[in-house]
Amino acid sequence: MSGRGLVVRRLVLLAASLVLMIAGTRDIRALRAYRETVVVSDAFTRQAPLSTYFDGIRGTLMDVPVYVFDSGVPGGSALILGGAHPYEPASPVMAYVVMENIAVKQGRVFVIARANMSASLQGMLGNAYPPFFRVKTPWGGKTYRIGDRETSPLEQWPDPFTFVHYPSKQNLAYQDSRNLNRTFPGRPDGSLTERTSFAITELIRREKIDLTIDVHEASMGYPVVSTYVCHQRAEEMCMMAAMMLSAEQFPMKTETSPKTLRGLTHREIGDFTDSFAVLMETPEPFIDKFVGPMTEALMLTGKDEFMQTAANRGLLYADYNMKTGSTLDYRVGRHLGGAAEIIKQMGEFYPAKKLVVSWPTYADVMTQGVGAFLHDPAKAARGRVFTN
Amino acid sequence: MILLQSLIHELYFVMAAVVAALLLTRLFRRKTRPGLAYDIVYAYTVIPFILRALHIK
Repeated sequence: MSGRGLVVRRLVLLAASLVLMIAGTRDIRALRAYRETVVVSDAFTRQAPLSTYFDGIRGTLMDVPVYVFDSGVPGGSALILGGAHPYEPASPVMAYVVMENIAVKQGRVFVIARANMSASLQGMLGNAYPPFFRVKTPWGGKTYRIGDRETSPLEQWPDPFTFVHYPSKQNLAYQDSRNLNRTFPGRPDGSLTERTSFAITELIRREKIDLTIDVHEASMGYPVVSTYVCHQRAEEMCMMAAMMLSAEQFPMKTETSPKTLRGLTHREIGDFTDSFAVLMETPEPFIDKFVGPMTEALMLTGKDEFMQTAANRGLLYADYNMKTGSTLDYRVGRHLGGAAEIIKQMGEFYPAKKLVVSWPTYADVMTQGVGAFLHDPAKAARGRVFTN
Repeated sequence: MILLQSLIHELYFVMAAVVAALLLTRLFRRKTRPGLAYDIVYAYTVIPFILRALHIK
């Protein structure tokens, strides 16, 4: 081939590669650019960036908004931490339902809906997850991101060969250096994820948060599914809350945070702050490894034939029926009920920390669906609409 | 410490850009392996480096 022909051929190949690159990254770019909308309730008091509590994350994607709902009446305080692992989508949706519907009669509630914003802006490598899911509402629908588990390498890279947790010096997997729920209590001069954990820990210390509720989802082949995992100082109220939920609403287990499992909120926030630390898990087939195609429908319904086979063989740690699945409504409803019950129990055990709040109950969500409790940003007052 | 981390982090983007530039140069100017298959390989393998240099993926 002549010199000019060779150049033309290579230009054509390069152009084809660039077209492939642009087309192939459409979802990736859309996910990174998309911001979720929330319409806060009448109880909303103020919003502050997380960097208010630690300047070391200012200007980064991890400088997420903190929403405050303050009754003005002295009482307890709680932090609802959503989205530490964005590939567990009932967590941020639960936080949004709380923010859109909460009423506070006594005490204060702080909400972070997207604790790891960076992780929420990238898909999970290799799992063919859909980038978004849509919740139907009476006025149309709201779209939310399905992100990854760890902070994006675009924000934190390279990973260490082994992640050494601070301050315990426990060796963890290298990718846990970007896992927000393995880097608590965090450190001010650490990696971006560690600094974010430190900022959240500082928020808890400075605002004197009595109860921290870290909201997660678990695969059904994981023993702590449908469980409160509680620091030992919160053990009794967790046990009581789990008993009440199991008797009146839905099956809930409780487990005490292992002292040798470092970096998790239920261990480190309990050890390094005065807050009661509680983590909640729901049954989420979408993140199990043996399910069929990981589609938006699976994420919303939790119905999967392979999961049923696993259930029939006794391989799961929670009840499962493919006919009912484990819907987003069920999982968000569980979190709403679980958070309300543990707050109630804190007030029973420690009257000085009483917090009187209300939001849609488990029964409300199961009968009307999550979408019934999400409001239309187009019809909301301007000061009530925020993006995450 | 944070400054050093940031520098190393940014260095990775620079390295990605350098590799992308190298691959593009070699796509058009190389003395060995002039065949079509190698043209395709050079054109295709540049993609992840461009994506990283542009902070897309």
